[in-house]
Amino acid sequence: MPDLSLSVTVNGRTLHRTVPPHLRLLDLLREDLHLTGSKEGCGAGECGTCSVFVDGVLLKSCLVPAAKVDGADVETVESLGPRGALSVVQRAFHKAGASQCGYCIPGMVMAATAALRSNPRLGDEEIKERLGGNICRCTGYQKIFDAVALARDVLCGVRPASALDEEELKDGSFIGTSVRRLDAPSKVTGALRYAGDMTLPGMLHVKVLRSPHAHAVIRSLDTSEAEAMDGVAAIVTAADVPGKDGFGVFVRDQPVMARGKVRYVGEAIAAVAAEDLVTATRALAKIKVAYEILPGVFDPDAALMPGAPVLHDYAADNLVKHIPIRKGDVEAGFAAADVIIEECFETQQVEHAYLEPEAGLAYVDPDGVVTVHSPSQNITHHRHMLSDILALPINKVRMIMSPVGGGFGGKEDMIYQGMLALLAMKTGQPVRLVFTREESVSTTAKRHSARISYRMGLARDGRITASEIRAVYDGGAYGMSTEGVIRKGAILAGGPYAIPNVKIDTYGVYTNNTPSGAFRSFGSLQTQFATESMLDMAAERLGLDPFELRRRNAMRAGDTTHTQQRLDSASLLDVLAGAEGAARWERGAPVVRGAVRGDLAGEGTRPPCRLGARFAAPVPEAQAEEVA
Amino acid sequence: MARKRGRGMAAGWYGIARTASIDRAGTWVELDDGGTAKVVTGVTEIGEGILTVLAQIAAEELGIRPEDVTVGDNDTARVPEAAHAGATRQTYMIGNSVALACREARARLFDEMAAHWGTDAASLRAHNGTLRAEGTNLKCAMREAVDICKKRGVVPVGAASFTAHHTGLDAADGSGRPWQAYVFGCQVAEVEVDTVTGEVQVLGVWAAHDVGRAVNPKGVEGQIEGGVVQALGQGLMEHYQTVDGHTVTPGFAKYILPTALDVPQVTCVIVEDPDPIGPLGVKGIGEPAMVPTIPAVMNAIYDAIGVRITTLPATPESIVAALGRKRQAETAAQARAQ
Ligand code: FES
Ligand code: FES
Repeated sequence: MPDLSLSVTVNGRTLHRTVPPHLRLLDLLREDLHLTGSKEGCGAGECGTCSVFVDGVLLKSCLVPAAKVDGADVETVESLGPRGALSVVQRAFHKAGASQCGYCIPGMVMAATAALRSNPRLGDEEIKERLGGNICRCTGYQKIFDAVALARDVLCGVRPASALDEEELKDGSFIGTSVRRLDAPSKVTGALRYAGDMTLPGMLHVKVLRSPHAHAVIRSLDTSEAEAMDGVAAIVTAADVPGKDGFGVFVRDQPVMARGKVRYVGEAIAAVAAEDLVTATRALAKIKVAYEILPGVFDPDAALMPGAPVLHDYAADNLVKHIPIRKGDVEAGFAAADVIIEECFETQQVEHAYLEPEAGLAYVDPDGVVTVHSPSQNITHHRHMLSDILALPINKVRMIMSPVGGGFGGKEDMIYQGMLALLAMKTGQPVRLVFTREESVSTTAKRHSARISYRMGLARDGRITASEIRAVYDGGAYGMSTEGVIRKGAILAGGPYAIPNVKIDTYGVYTNNTPSGAFRSFGSLQTQFATESMLDMAAERLGLDPFELRRRNAMRAGDTTHTQQRLDSASLLDVLAGAEGAARWERGAPVVRGAVRGDLAGEGTRPPCRLGARFAAPVPEAQAEEVA
Repeated sequence: MARKRGRGMAAGWYGIARTASIDRAGTWVELDDGGTAKVVTGVTEIGEGILTVLAQIAAEELGIRPEDVTVGDNDTARVPEAAHAGATRQTYMIGNSVALACREARARLFDEMAAHWGTDAASLRAHNGTLRAEGTNLKCAMREAVDICKKRGVVPVGAASFTAHHTGLDAADGSGRPWQAYVFGCQVAEVEVDTVTGEVQVLGVWAAHDVGRAVNPKGVEGQIEGGVVQALGQGLMEHYQTVDGHTVTPGFAKYILPTALDVPQVTCVIVEDPDPIGPLGVKGIGEPAMVPTIPAVMNAIYDAIGVRITTLPATPESIVAALGRKRQAETAAQARAQ
């Protein structure tokens, strides 16, 4: 198809452009006009980070071909605040604490602005409906709802404009006061530049060739044809690694790119730096790889069986690590129990789904320092590893943490920074890699799935006499943070309870699944889910209120933990009382008493969603003003 | 009735900062011209609000305002090591480190000002941009104080390292001191389960968490609310799936996340049991906020419909299947009884 010419007004400025037919409005805004407040969270119309107004209508610009806006009036988040000032909606987001990582926020601000323009008095339930097309992974949406309601009330005159100002100091101290976030203005305006928003003169674009197989030997790898292509600056593979090739938090078992073998689908094999993304993508197709497919293993229990396919030479049993914890004598504890409960639990692999896909920009500075900007949660450790991988003194490697558009542990493990550094060194030019959403989901670390078998003995009065827990975690193809995850999973597995007899074993296992890594609450979410479920099953059997059962077992100051550490302070009783009181909990054993409870549907609950019933708007008081 | 309600609760605990290994964080501080400050440390913001928390801590310790603080961070070639941004360690490790470094810079300034005024440095108090000598009418703006200090030939700088003395676990019995600060939490969840479709709606969550000391209460709430909703996603809908290692949930059309329409009202109860070791009493909240949510929701589902979910996520399909198994078991029991 031939290029198309278009004329469009963007934020009040009229432009004339000739664009290729595949160009999206989002690309025009970001790459051509450098209006990077509109973000690409998914490229598929699912997340709302790219929201703009086209002729006043809220649209997802990743779904709009640039050619379609010929003659239209486009407004982006950059247009909302007149010359550096914030709109009422933006100020309300600032005041309410509605931005965390900020990556969803420009889109949220646009959706909120659209909602208030179409109904200045929208009700609280309609706010939720109107924001339903925008995902936020950080905030849990509560403060965003607060922000939109605040903006509505200020614009309607229900609350004074001063409601948007900084709060008074609490007890005269900055500590303990909800000071408005200092970074919020840059987030609500879209001014903050994440790694994928940054450009440098002469910058090359990177694409990664990935394994289509879960387990295979690489018989040959030929990049010559791709390298000869016009516009391709360089290609790197494992052969380009000058130093000791391997990264990982506890065991450095993962090469920067596959070295002779692939161990999971999506593993990087080669990286291309080219003048533009289209050329880089075409070059990937010209790289020739011959594989010898190996049998794979996809279940951690199967991987532990003798004769299972082996992923790493150093670990013939596929075991990343085993963590044992022993205290007292569990068999004696079970013998003393009046009730013994046994159950198995399974938890799934989970994606971090930060709205900012992985991205990075690397260059070699004039002093020969290899510099990588990326949203890395662990620049300190990444620098150590890169210095070994690149065979450079540590002060010749510089890691800069760019603004992180959500991490949750997923940006702790080093995954792509090595490829960027190698390409920057090989080309002598700045290089930038931005993952697609699909790449981010299917090739980066996940939360470990776990299979947990649990046995708990209790005396009739509710005291736990023994707990025996065995948890097998699927580490996937590489070690990454697995050892730490299963260690934390083990230490916390027994729960915050004083138990005399404990036997805990956690195992991290290699499989040919997508690697698992660090994820918020790091292995303990899995085991504590099991513990707290077991306790409710026990409470039912013993006829005890679940709060009461936990109080009877609570660790208190002076008690020792499962790892035999004496605690000098312990606040479990305080938080139990806090939750019980706030929820107005009606006491009783958990015997499926939902139908007869008296504490339901009160303060602190929202009405359930009933389709089509959300547009009753209750807010018309003072006169609505023009919405900013 | 197709829709049934129930409530459940769960507790949890968590260790602050790196597990079973010594943890450390360094900071450099300069009380700068104009009564402002530069605070330079290794790693900060990943969205949780730590930048603002550090500015609040520095402002309080130095006697200036948060907006006067510039945090220099996130660059291995320009800032001291503060390790990594994770493990619920930022407020604890870096917050305490910033406080100690600020105290050193402040002491330098106070020594010079005490000499300048002929008072005792112990009588000096700085707050919100003003320096006073207690028991006197001596006072000046921090801007002037920095100026006087520099004219006396001294740049008021400070540096500090904060350490958490953790030990590894014994290889045989796991004994050790993996953390020096622990936090505890408890949550109640209220759900409505549609027994026809299997859909679970979480209508309310009450979350009580010990954070040691809340530097920015709204930020703490944001962490709790976000953690609850992330956990709810894992509990009810999120499922990264592969078939023989091939991802079958590669985008948000297949990988389902909680939206604005799925979330409960969250009520936060902030409990403050100060850490007895660090200079500030702070602990942390990022990760522990997620821990009790899933079991509280599963316990609430049980309370509503008598079905115990042991395999996550509790999707509508799995709820309907579990209800079917329950009905079958009940019918079989009835048949046996007759
Ligand atoms: S909806 Fe456009 S990038 Fe996600
Ligand atoms: S603040 Fe919404 S995704 Fe991070």
